[in-house]
Amino acid sequence: MNTEAVITVLLSVALLSAVPLALASVGEAVGERAGLLNLGTEGIMLLGAFTGFWVSLESSSLGLGLLAGTFTGGVSGLLFGLIAVIVGADQVLLGLGITLGGSGLTSFLFRETFGSSQPLLPGSMARPTGGLAEALPIVGPALLGQPWFFYLAWMIVAAVELMLRGTTLGLRIRAVGESPVAVDTVGISVVSTRMLAAIIAGALSGLAGASLSIVELGFFQPNVTLGTGFIAIALAMLGRWSPWRIAAMAIVFGLLRGLGSGLQLIDVSVQSEFTRMLPYVGAVVALLLSGRGMRVPSALGQTWVRRRGSVRVR
Amino acid sequence: MTDRLHFKETEYGRLRHILTSPWLDPLWAVLFALTCGAVLLILTGHDPVLAYREWVARAILRPSGIQETIVRAIPLLFTGTAVLLALRAGVWNIGIDGQVLVGALAGAVAASYLVGISAPVMWAGATVAAVLAGATWASIPALLRGRLGINEIVTGIMFNYIAISMTAWLIKGPLGDPAVVLPQTRLIPVEMRLLTLGGTRVHIGLVLAVALVGCLGWFLTRTVAGYELRATGASPAAAAHGQIPVRAYIIVALVASGAIAALAGANDVLSTKGAFQGEWNPAYGFVAFALVFLGQRSIIGLVPAALVFGQLSYAADVMPRAADVAPAFFGVIEGTLLVALAVTVWVRSTSVGRSRFGRGAKA
Repeated sequence: MNTEAVITVLLSVALLSAVPLALASVGEAVGERAGLLNLGTEGIMLLGAFTGFWVSLESSSLGLGLLAGTFTGGVSGLLFGLIAVIVGADQVLLGLGITLGGSGLTSFLFRETFGSSQPLLPGSMARPTGGLAEALPIVGPALLGQPWFFYLAWMIVAAVELMLRGTTLGLRIRAVGESPVAVDTVGISVVSTRMLAAIIAGALSGLAGASLSIVELGFFQPNVTLGTGFIAIALAMLGRWSPWRIAAMAIVFGLLRGLGSGLQLIDVSVQSEFTRMLPYVGAVVALLLSGRGMRVPSALGQTWVRRRGSVRVR
Repeated sequence: MTDRLHFKETEYGRLRHILTSPWLDPLWAVLFALTCGAVLLILTGHDPVLAYREWVARAILRPSGIQETIVRAIPLLFTGTAVLLALRAGVWNIGIDGQVLVGALAGAVAASYLVGISAPVMWAGATVAAVLAGATWASIPALLRGRLGINEIVTGIMFNYIAISMTAWLIKGPLGDPAVVLPQTRLIPVEMRLLTLGGTRVHIGLVLAVALVGCLGWFLTRTVAGYELRATGASPAAAAHGQIPVRAYIIVALVASGAIAALAGANDVLSTKGAFQGEWNPAYGFVAFALVFLGQRSIIGLVPAALVFGQLSYAADVMPRAADVAPAFFGVIEGTLLVALAVTVWVRSTSVGRSRFGRGAKA
């Protein structure tokens, strides 16, 4: 393979692999903006990936699978909200529980449903061909020749950015993460705002999982997310809870991940274990550089209790 | 108050008083998790009664089951101690997995150099190497947290992934045993592994683990440094007002936590595994959190909680053959257990929780 063809393929793969990461991370950011630190993203992604894959396989409709994944994610988010916001349990512990449980449940159900077989989705999503996608060298296929969901996903990211910035709901979500007391004082329900944020966050994580198993891979296997949910949590912080920054970070991360396989394809002898490490090192370095002066949502991870009229620190 | 006094005087009140005791919280959480597991088994067409009966018969009531439970509880005791120490200082050490791996690798490499001298020297050398490696590894997220205030949860998770790849890379390269094809360190012969106790499979790692739990208890409750560390965790602002160096305590707690977690890695290499293998990741981290909260964040509670999770780990190995239940089933049990524990912690620690769901934490 010549270098140009390799780069073309890699760019295309890297951009597509940034989609699940960006969606999950934007979801996490919505939750964190509302003061909810959900470490269950990985588990919710797995639940979305499994149900999405299963529904796609049964209905042979990729779109239906994505919807199913989103729905499962939303229900998981609702569950997280019920326990974290309405009951008021510790968010970190609850998130770890959801990750452990989601990973166990999807692995268990996958073995129960498919045994040791490894089914593949019959068709992958259609890609536009011809025209500009092929006329432009190198970046053409990556930017213009992706499956339709690729474009929908970035539109969703943009929509969340607009929602957080320019709508009443967005303002409420941001306010409830900064000062629940103030929100309560002006007569807006802290609980329902946070619940809504939890559901949106869960739905986006579920969609992220479904897009991973349906659009990017075409199969499911136990723990298929390989820690994407946790990287998403780090990216949400790195991108300072702003969807467009997160999207940019996710693309950089996707490119870093693709770099490893790229170097191998063009016969540079670097061990895959070494290159696999790079994105995480990059994330830590980026955190280090942006760490100073980062302003975390003030009420992040804290349960709000009306009766005492103040925020309770865990 | 009068309501509660009145309650105690009736039969129902007395029963309610006993059943809502905070001491029983872990029991309710375990029962909740087992019930969820049973529902899952029914939904997937298994017989839960049969499965649970096989579980008890094969994994709990046999001597081999009890021994194996204890053996598996030993590394969990180390990681649980590590989590608890950091938690008392008010920080979450989520980087346990990475610290275990780094400790295991350092211990295995040290052991392969010292294996020719004598077994006790090798044990000590490997232990020291693991502690140093774990402390060094944990010091980076610790400094980032203490100096720059960067969330230790996020960096901890990143360092876990870095550790998995880094140890796999090192073991394939300079640190592996050139004599074998598999990427692993030199295998420690069985007769050089940690001494077993009285003809069982339980080894002296248990003694060190229990001693460490005792030391932690002594340190936290009987020393000034332990008091100041707890003050840091309870209220950083109040502690800082009392001239306690809060940032230093946070850094020290995270570094010490990493060193203790690394002992779990050295323990496994010196006893059950015998070598460090590439891509090995026991994932003790999340389990350690579940364990600490099952023990109600108390020091003494670590021991029974570690046994519970040691048993779950063994059951996950036995049950596929015994009752055709996939190992992942126990992941579901652990997850639901954590969720249930998260709820009980809240019930006991806030006034609203107490008034809604029973008695207070101070019993």
